[in-house]
Order: sequence, then structure tokens, then C-alpha cells
Amino acid sequence: MTIEFRDVHASYNADIPILKGVSFTVEDGEFVAFVGTNGAGKSTTMRLVNGLLKPESGEVLVDGVPTTQLKTSELARRVGFLFQNPDNQICCNTVREELLFSFRALGALDAEAERRVDEIIAEFAFNPDDDPFLLNRGTRQLLALASTIVVAPPVIVLDEPTTGLDFRECVKVMDIIRHLHENGTTVIMVCHDMEVVADFAERVIVMSDGCVVDQGPTFEVLRNRHTLKAANLVPPQIVDISLGLNMMRPDLEGTLVATANTLNEMELAIATAVGKPEAASSVPTYAPTAPGAEDALVEGGAR
Amino acid sequence: MNGFLEYVPGTSLMHRLNPIVKLLGAIVFAVACFFSSNLVFLACMLVLALAMAASCGMMKPTIGLMKAVFAFSLLLAIIQILFTPSGDALVVLPWGYIGTGSLIAALTTVVRLEAAAIPLFLTFYVTKVSDMTNAAVKVLHVPYKYAFTFSLTVHFIPVFLNDMKGIMESQTARGVEFDQVGIIKKIGLIMPLCVPLLVSSVRKTNSAAIAAEVRGFNLRTRASGFKQYPFAAFDVVALLAVVALLVVAIIL
Repeated sequence: MTIEFRDVHASYNADIPILKGVSFTVEDGEFVAFVGTNGAGKSTTMRLVNGLLKPESGEVLVDGVPTTQLKTSELARRVGFLFQNPDNQICCNTVREELLFSFRALGALDAEAERRVDEIIAEFAFNPDDDPFLLNRGTRQLLALASTIVVAPPVIVLDEPTTGLDFRECVKVMDIIRHLHENGTTVIMVCHDMEVVADFAERVIVMSDGCVVDQGPTFEVLRNRHTLKAANLVPPQIVDISLGLNMMRPDLEGTLVATANTLNEMELAIATAVGKPEAASSVPTYAPTAPGAEDALVEGGAR
Repeated sequence: MNGFLEYVPGTSLMHRLNPIVKLLGAIVFAVACFFSSNLVFLACMLVLALAMAASCGMMKPTIGLMKAVFAFSLLLAIIQILFTPSGDALVVLPWGYIGTGSLIAALTTVVRLEAAAIPLFLTFYVTKVSDMTNAAVKVLHVPYKYAFTFSLTVHFIPVFLNDMKGIMESQTARGVEFDQVGIIKKIGLIMPLCVPLLVSSVRKTNSAAIAAEVRGFNLRTRASGFKQYPFAAFDVVALLAVVALLVVAIIL
């Protein structure tokens, strides 16, 4: 399912424009991250995707249909939305009821829905009778994510999904999102954590002052110091190190230090460049497949 | 524009009045509106209240407030028209009649409620809640914990409204159609959302209480506030003016 913005202008108050002509396309099955400082217009962009906000001018197309022509419930079937604060989303007395509520809201509560809820409860290892309001912050966030994905929307929008989570919870949430993406779900994520962005996103869209200032493959954008500086962003430290190393060592031109497209590759390239390839294995990242990550997760009790 | 009941900075006369004068003045003004049933007097009070709103640049929120009060007072007015027959009969009903007196009484109710509500609400838009609390403690000798409770209650109104908005948006994103159904169904949809609102309110109140406690809430006395709230000449004039209005209302 494709999401397309065509010269979108939007605001909450006519006197203060928030989005000033935003255009981009998110293709079916992509994992796109939106980065930018607070007030850049990222969350407003997300609200336009699922129709919570309608554009003042321009068009937001979900699978080719303008959001202005779709009811919110129709959009909710197509676009799942995970808010930053799970407490706004949770409204039922048990975990099971909360998951079933997602189907009830869409008018799709049937035997198949019950089966799907049981499946999700098993997958997330929830206790179905737990009171959601008594769960810890990380588990509430997981429950909010579960109740978003339980109805299997083809597009999922995540507004800062890792805010307030510790490393272990963050890995768990992002692991589930990665799994969804691998199974064909289009993922659009707003995130301030550039390490998470570098680790998971295939493409990055940089926003500043209500405009898209850069977009492209993740590492191509993260290496663009000029644009990131203009948007008041700092790339992940490892990207910064690779850029510095590349400047100091012309002999590394064209090697993985300059061209790596994953954090794992970059770690290995930097460690090799400084003559310590074995050092790469001790650097954990969010990706469970990264060298050292398994150890870190076992130590942290996530596995 | 700020949120509901949130202070809007300004330099108007209303902004500069002593917080106690504003609070007492608004209360006396409202009492005056309820003392009189003279429609002309109440219309004058409404015009005066609107003039006060215009003088401090608060017409936009005042019109919003008037719409909300009108919806409520209209309900009362309809009941009054249907069930309190008085004056010359205009329409005969199976249980009585609608008379000229009923219509005038209904109109009086609407004008009275509008006139009484405006200064009360205006007080919050032109006074910092902290000033209102501190002045109540300093000048009226209200115990700080009661004044603080009042200020916290007022402070939380826009916070809870924002929370409710966030909760409704979250549920809309899940497919709940708040905007597509009738009023009864809408109430049915909103009621379950009171649970997360209640939970977040309790959490916020608890956090606020702990934060106040660790900042020495219980140590605070009347002498703790450094800011003084002296009465200026125009404060006295303003207070005398509203008292005069109350006297006129009683006489009429």
C-alpha cells in the first residue's frame, strides 16, 4: 500500500502553518524513518497519514485514494497508528479486552478475531487477564503495539515507539516491528534515536521547519553532514567516526568505511581500519543479529 | 490563543487589577445578576461584561464561552417556556400554556446566565492562577493548602481537556467513529474513555502531590510568598462599582 504526499500544507491554527508544501512517497513494503527536531512537522505528517488531520491544500493519498474521501474507520483498517503515549490508547480492563477492542472499534469482532487475539497474546507472552493500567511502561507500550497490529493493517505508523523504554524493551519493540516489516507491512516511523533509525530504516526523510529537506537511503542521508547540521541533527556516533576516519585516511576512500550500508558493516570496517577487527564483536547494537548483541541481550535478560 | 481558562498575558486595566478585586468583583457581579429579574438591568450587565471582555482583548474566548453557556441556558429556557405559564396566553398546551411572561422569563434566564458567567471566566484569562492563590493566602488569609488545591484544580482543567483530546484521537485512529454517529451513541463511545482519563488524572495528581511534597509544600506559610498585592486606587473604585451594581440589583 503506497502513501503519497503531494505538496501538502497543514496547520492546527490558520495563523501558524505547520507543514509548508511537503511531498514524498512511501512505497509498498518500505521501512521509512522521519527525523527532525521537535516542531519540525513529523508528528503532524503522521496525523495526516491516518486522517486525524486533513490537509489545507495538496493531497495525501493512501493507496491512491485521498484521505479526505475516506472515513476514519476505513483509514484505520489500512493504517495502524502507534502513539507515543500508550496510556491514551489503552481503555479496557484486561489485556484480552484491550486487544479485542481493536476489532470492536472496526466492527469486525468475530470468531476469527478471537483466534487472532489468542495468537497475539501467545506471541507477546501476555497474561490475558492482566489489568493493562497496572503493567509497567514498556509492557503497556508493547500492548499498545499489539493492539495496533492485531488487526493486521498493511501500513503501520509509529510515533516515537521507543520513547521511555529501556534497551531491553526497545529491542523487543523494534524486533517485532522488524518482523512485521519482513512480512510485508509498510512501516513509517518517527524517531529521535538516530541509532534506532540507522539500525532499522531503509530510507530516511529529514524534516525541518515544516519542509522535507532531504530524503534517501538511510546511510546516504546520515552521511550528509551538511543537511543534518541544517536540520539540527547529529548522526549516530559510529557514522560520525566513519566520516572522520574517511577524512583523515584518504586510503580508505571507496572501502566499507565510506560505503557501508549497515551498522554492522560499519563497525567491522572501522575496527579493521584501526587494526582491531576483533573489537567489532564487542559493540552491541539494537539489531539482535549484530555482533555482541546476543551477549548483551542475555546479560540484560531479554532472551 | 491559549487553552481553556489559561492565562493570556496583557497590560489592560483588567490585567492590572488586584487578583482579589478581580475574583471578588466577578463573584459580586454574578450575585448581582441573580438578585435582579429586571431584563433591562440584566441586558446592561451583559453589555458591561462584554465591554470588560473587549477591554482586555478577550472577545474570542468570551464568544466561545457564550456559545457554551447559551446551549445550557437554552435548555433551561425551554423548560421554563413549557412549564411556567404566565402572562397573556400565546399557545395553549395540554398541561397549560405558553404566555408572554414565560417568554420573558426564559429570555431573562438566558441573559442572566450569560452576564453572570462572563466575568467569572474572564478572571482566569486575565489573572495568573499563582497570583490568585498567593493573593488569597496573603490578603484573605486563606490556608495555603486550600488555595493551592483550588489553583491546581484550575490548572488541571486544560491539562485534562488535552488528555481527553489525545485519548479520543488515539481511539479515532483505531477506528472509533466519534464524528459519524448520533449524540446518544457518541456518549456511549466516550464513556469508556473516561477510564484512561481517570487513570491519567490520578497519576498526574499523584505526581503533582509528590512534587509539591518534595519541594516543601507543608513548610509553606502566609509569610513565604515574597510578592505583595497592595490595593491601588482603581482597585477600590472597581470594587465600589461592583458593590454599587449589587445595590442597584437589590433595589430593582
